[in-house]
Amino acid sequence: MAIQVSGITKQFGHYRALDQVDLEVRSGELLALLGPSGSGKTTLLRIMAGLESADSGSLQLHGEEALGLSPRERQVGFVFQHYALFRHMTVFDNVAFGLKVRPRAQRFGRSEIKRRVMELLELVQLAHFADRYPAQLSGGQRQRVALARALAIEPKVLLLDEPFGALDAKVRKELRRWLRKLHDDIHITSVFVTHDQEEALELADRVVVMSQGRIEQVGSPADVYDHPASAFVYEFLGQVNRFDCTVADGVARVANGALAIPTENGVQGEAIAYVRPHDLGLSPSAGGPGRVSGIHVVGPDARVEVDLAGLTLEAEMDRERLSFLGLRPGDRCAVHIDRARVFPRR
Amino acid sequence: MLAKTSGQRPALDDRSWVRGLLILSALAFLLLFLVLPLVSVFVEAFRRGVGAYWDALIEPDALSAIHLTLIVAAIAVPLNLVFGVAASWCISKFDFRGKGLLITLIDLPFSVSPVISGIIYVLLFGLHGVVGPFLKSQGIQIIFAVPGLVLATIFVTFPFVARELIPLMQEQGTEEEEAALVLGASGWQTFWRVTLPNIKWGLMYGVLLCNARAMGEFGAVSVVSGHIRGETNTMPLHVEILYNEYNFVAAFSVASVLAMLALVTLVAKTALEWRFGAELAATRH
Repeated sequence: MAIQVSGITKQFGHYRALDQVDLEVRSGELLALLGPSGSGKTTLLRIMAGLESADSGSLQLHGEEALGLSPRERQVGFVFQHYALFRHMTVFDNVAFGLKVRPRAQRFGRSEIKRRVMELLELVQLAHFADRYPAQLSGGQRQRVALARALAIEPKVLLLDEPFGALDAKVRKELRRWLRKLHDDIHITSVFVTHDQEEALELADRVVVMSQGRIEQVGSPADVYDHPASAFVYEFLGQVNRFDCTVADGVARVANGALAIPTENGVQGEAIAYVRPHDLGLSPSAGGPGRVSGIHVVGPDARVEVDLAGLTLEAEMDRERLSFLGLRPGDRCAVHIDRARVFPRR
Repeated sequence: MLAKTSGQRPALDDRSWVRGLLILSALAFLLLFLVLPLVSVFVEAFRRGVGAYWDALIEPDALSAIHLTLIVAAIAVPLNLVFGVAASWCISKFDFRGKGLLITLIDLPFSVSPVISGIIYVLLFGLHGVVGPFLKSQGIQIIFAVPGLVLATIFVTFPFVARELIPLMQEQGTEEEEAALVLGASGWQTFWRVTLPNIKWGLMYGVLLCNARAMGEFGAVSVVSGHIRGETNTMPLHVEILYNEYNFVAAFSVASVLAMLALVTLVAKTALEWRFGAELAATRH
């Protein structure tokens, strides 16, 4: 176990940022802390780095209790959302910083520092930019410098706080593929914070979904997407149709029985049902209960909005399927739902 | 030409007319209130020739005044540099109770009349003051002596460095310092290698302003000085005495030295901005 978080609690005034959080990070994995803003994910990451203190609980880094250690003693790499590069230093000096500030006895010679820095700059494909200043680089390049700088101290774990948050959509996508590849090459235990579900699902080995200072679910990307453990995770991850229903004998009745859906778990009574748009099937039917109220085509996909007894449902399919069905706005249709997750209404 | 443009584009023409007027009035204002007085200082100083000018400067009382001014500035400015950096470091990098109060207190010397600043020290350290009698029994004199001048100058010039640095450091935030700490730097290493280089131009600017004010301060210093010729007269005080004695050439000669100090400060500031403009902009963003 690379990082073991047990019972960590953190309070800012009256606001509880973290509430008894337990988490294990396995050696060599790339873990995502995913949640909306205010969920405590960044606080948790900063506590791991020692940039924030915990009120109670314990944190072990590679089996060693770390809460009492200062950031400099923890030997973690930290990458900031806004890079936090030293603006008055060149790219080379930024990366060399962690090596130059070591106590004299542990410090490498000048040529060894140079060798290591250039090696890292090769790794992040920025060797030609060694003499540039951060202000002369693009956002993606700056974040790669920040990564090289964090790796220079040979950290035991790498912590990244919204590493792609300040980048535009295209660069963000490129950089995250590149980071995944880099991680596959060097296998350093890494934890990154994000509020972007797509980023977490695409990049991480495991995803930790957080909300209001608590962990809602931990699992592989497929796991948390296909089997959300709570209503929160269902709503937070991906698009979802949400409607009130009454469950009796494993069947959820929606809108006074206009729709009946088999349910998986043993919830009874008043509940909320969740159905992913691509789990919602449509077929043309002159006497069907639904009515197509809108069709939006986005690239290869089509989103179809259906009115059903006062509810608006959204179905997602590819364009070929849509043209095969021949549905148009105003058409009546039948709605098939194979499965729904229901959670008791609070 | 005028008829043509005013016929086609009256709005633009209007604007350029207004612009011309504004520029002219600004220039006239500058000339009247800045250039003319400055020139007149030098004209008056050299009215009886270079010899008289020089004599007024090397006269013992004048030399002593220049000497004293330099000493006061040499003590007050470095101290305010340290105070200023420490205060802005506290205010911009840490959160604590009473921060707003501290910021207000730092601004106090700007909002209080310098005369009052001087009187505060007289009330504290004067013979009839709070701690004056005790100090007197110990053989320490503060008021009507150099320590009083230094104290008053420090008080009056306190805000310059801090005021320059606080917004700059607040804007720069704490992320770079955090990055340095995580990378293994100690507190001192972080300060010397990260914080200080990021604020050095702002700091230099603050020190220049602080120095200009320390040398030119009149009000507070006048109250605590006692005007003892050759002993507790700084240059501004010396100028006043000479002027009151109708010794205009000498008064303006000493004044011209002060004016030159101000000019040197301005030139140094402009040179800094010109030479390191790009870097200044880089550390601000």
